[in-house]
Amino acid sequence: MRRIVALLVALLLLVLAGSAFAADIIKIGHTVSLTGGASMWGQSEARALDMLLKKINESGGVLGKKIEFIRYDNRNDAVESVNVARRLVSDGVVAVIGPAQSGNSIATAPVLEKARIPMVVTTATNPYVTIDQKTGKVRPFAFRPCFIDPFQGTVAARFAITDLGAKKGAILYDVGSDYGQWLAKYFEEAFTDKGGTIVAKEAFRTDELDYRAQLGKIKDLAPDVIFIPTSQKEAAMAAKQARDIGITATLLGTDNWGSPDLIELGGSAIDGGYFVNLTDLADPDIQDFVAEYKAAFGEDPVLPNPVMAQDALIMIVEALKTAGTTDGDKLAEALANLSGIKVTSGVLTISPEDHNPLDKPAVIQQVDVANKTFKFVKKYVSVD
Amino acid sequence: MFLQTLITGLSIGGIYALMAVGYSLVFSVLNFSNFAHGAVIMLGAYVGLALATKLNFGFGLVLAGSVAGAGIIAVLNEKLAYSSLRRRKAPSLYLMISAMGCAVFLENLVYATIGSRFYAFPEFFGRQVVTIFGSSVSLLDVGAFIFALIAILGLHLFINRTRTGTAIRAGVCDMTMCSLMGVDLNRLIAIVFLLAGAFAGVAGVFLGIKYLVYPTMGWVTNKAYIAAVIGGLGSLPGALAGGLILGVVETFVSTYISSVLRDVFSFTLLIAFLVWRPNGLMGIDSEEKV
Repeated sequence: MRRIVALLVALLLLVLAGSAFAADIIKIGHTVSLTGGASMWGQSEARALDMLLKKINESGGVLGKKIEFIRYDNRNDAVESVNVARRLVSDGVVAVIGPAQSGNSIATAPVLEKARIPMVVTTATNPYVTIDQKTGKVRPFAFRPCFIDPFQGTVAARFAITDLGAKKGAILYDVGSDYGQWLAKYFEEAFTDKGGTIVAKEAFRTDELDYRAQLGKIKDLAPDVIFIPTSQKEAAMAAKQARDIGITATLLGTDNWGSPDLIELGGSAIDGGYFVNLTDLADPDIQDFVAEYKAAFGEDPVLPNPVMAQDALIMIVEALKTAGTTDGDKLAEALANLSGIKVTSGVLTISPEDHNPLDKPAVIQQVDVANKTFKFVKKYVSVD
Repeated sequence: MFLQTLITGLSIGGIYALMAVGYSLVFSVLNFSNFAHGAVIMLGAYVGLALATKLNFGFGLVLAGSVAGAGIIAVLNEKLAYSSLRRRKAPSLYLMISAMGCAVFLENLVYATIGSRFYAFPEFFGRQVVTIFGSSVSLLDVGAFIFALIAILGLHLFINRTRTGTAIRAGVCDMTMCSLMGVDLNRLIAIVFLLAGAFAGVAGVFLGIKYLVYPTMGWVTNKAYIAAVIGGLGSLPGALAGGLILGVVETFVSTYISSVLRDVFSFTLLIAFLVWRPNGLMGIDSEEKV
């Protein structure tokens, strides 16, 4: 009997010690693609977050506690993202950073909403990440530091019409991706709205390799510009195939093009193409970050994810400070009312109506194959 | 637009045919679908890529290296994964399952060692475009198409005109009889895999140049498999015809009906052939295949 009591007491002490220890730590979940097609950004994002977290913890953490990341690989897959979200919930995280992709974020949002844990996605630009498409209401626990696709699509269309002088536009997009489908729609609306004509809107399926059938149709209609809202892999293949069948139109892309290997993959075919991006290595606001990252890892960060992920972490830390607690509901309320906080990419104010940042700038970059860089062309703060 | 579609279709079909040949060769001798063929193509592409980027080899050497590399990999694949099954006279279903295992294994091996990122071949020829009646095609595609035709023709001659070719055809008819007549079966099968691997190497380099190099690129071979079935599994002229037909049909469906419905058509074609004409267009009957 005595032995059992002793055992129970020991167990009780152990549990108490464990929880006392845990109480000194705030757990923040990080769902990120460490493997798979988006791993390049994911790895860079994880490094940038660890770099910033170290600084935060060294200067005393937040609410007198240290922050710890619980990080899982979502493999850039919607099903896996849901599994990761469930695991994070059972791990007892107070908030989640990520995912980076719209499709994965839309899949993750309901799980975290049910658990009443706020999520701050990094670069998911689809409007329905923070707005529930069925009800049209804002998702109370979803936030983001990046601009959204209607803005991005409008910026692209306006640039095509006013700066490139385009009148006829064509669109080639991935029908299996939320990101591509919606951007195609926003671009079409904005382009038509500003007096242009969309002569062709052609789709392909995810993982398809050959777009020459679609491009052949586009070629016949002779557009001035072809809008390709895909990641760098599809953009590179589309560019090569377009040039192969003799298309000379200007190619225009979106923030998913912005990977350093776009130039290697697309070669001469992608030269001179333009795309919208969230940040630019030459952006004066992020020079300190770029220098710090380079000093730590010996290479440039793979933008824009590392910057956006740092913004997300800063948002959570600031919200924890104002809320004064780790309670999910209070934290979400604090996140929704963040105003004028200093983040890595500049200054950030969240709109309580849709949980998106107000006036987040977009940059236009041009692919320069000879110098292996993306040239800064233009910065848009608003498109009115 | 019609001509452009036809040209594009033929160019895609040429690559399908090149891949389908590898399936057909192995099927004709061992009577199973070697689903690891796609993985061998992928490895062939990586071999070519390494030669091109690390050693700065020109196109000819890259192609030769990739052919040799993929050929050796295919032979090793047979020795390690199929030969013991074959010696124990396992049903061909077991071989097929083993092949699927190999495909997944090799793919994950590349994920674990080289990583998941995409690679592109250096631009060997620049981007030269030939224009015929207003329709354009890149010189590379024309070259790849002609090369594929010559390679398949060469293989056809090899099988019909040489002693080893005769032995392969004999093996296709009756393996046991063939070995009783003094043919070394292990050597014969190694040669078949070497040939299939060599074609995988060519296909890998062309696919890599045309598209990109990455661990799952081998999956495009499910199209080659359809092409092989259409042409008649085990028939070389069939693989060529099947590849071209599939390429052209797919491109026309994409252009005139819907690009999203393309694969629905391809796989419907596969099912239709399996149901109504399992021997394909040119697979005369299961007695005589190559």
